[in-house]
Amino acid sequence: MELSNIEKLLEKYFEGQTTISEEKELKVYFTRETVPSHLESYKDMFQYFSEESTITATKDLKLHTRKKSRYAWIGMAASIALIAGIFLTKTDQTNKKELGTYEDPEIALQETKKILNMVSQYMNEGKQELVYLKKFENTKNKFIK
Amino acid sequence: MKERTFITLTNGFKDKLFRLSKRLLVSNEEAEDATQEVLLKLWKNKSKIAEYKNVEAFAMTMTKNYCYDKLKAKETGNLKIVHSNYKDERASLQRQVEAKDSLDWVGRIMNGLPEQQRMIIQLRDIEQYNNAEIAEMLGLNETTVRVALSRGRKKIREELLKKHNYGIV
Repeated sequence: MELSNIEKLLEKYFEGQTTISEEKELKVYFTRETVPSHLESYKDMFQYFSEESTITATKDLKLHTRKKSRYAWIGMAASIALIAGIFLTKTDQTNKKELGTYEDPEIALQETKKILNMVSQYMNEGKQELVYLKKFENTKNKFIK
Repeated sequence: MKERTFITLTNGFKDKLFRLSKRLLVSNEEAEDATQEVLLKLWKNKSKIAEYKNVEAFAMTMTKNYCYDKLKAKETGNLKIVHSNYKDERASLQRQVEAKDSLDWVGRIMNGLPEQQRMIIQLRDIEQYNNAEIAEMLGLNETTVRVALSRGRKKIREELLKKHNYGIV
């Protein structure tokens, strides 16, 4: 490209009037080996621009959000299961307590009598052992009158 | 959206995000972090990706905002020693050190520009977006973009000519 043309483009460039393609032309021109000495300092500028556009990020992107959410779900499920378990076992116990009741008062009376008889029978059996106490009484009466 | 499709989608512009955040934050590590952060945010909102007209432009805007936040946090977090003499001295010291590598020198000039001009030159001269795209990404109008572009380029030219004419200042 002619020198005068380049100078014109440069003027436009510094006014911010060039198009992207014109700027590309300038970049191509200034990244060449030889440039007239009075334009030497622009060379640095355009070379810098084209060099900067090749810098890349070195770190790889890590998206570790997924794993976290999976563990969170497991935790939530476990806690729900735990609470549900405690609740269910408690209600089971209360159900068992209600199993000993009778609807009909007649049967209830009979059953109560049966149980009371049984209790008194055991008590009488226990009382038979108290016969030995009479022997103590007799010997005591022998000495103390 | 699957993880793999997301990665192939973002790989198309991941480096551009990185370069923009590096331009603003300067440090390599911080730029890497910013890129990761922006992509993760995008991944979390992946259900909405289809709604965006232009995912790349949207990601660029996110990067810009993220970097602005970072810069702001830095400003408030540290005690800032603002002193014009101090600043000038530091610049001239850097000039001496960096003068050997003239391309680095351009980068140094560029990073001395105001943030907006820096970003616009980055997007236009390095990434080759057109002004309309840049205006959309940065939430400016096209005239503002053109004016800032021209100012930034002129400033770079000015500094370069200074160096060219006087050598090391």
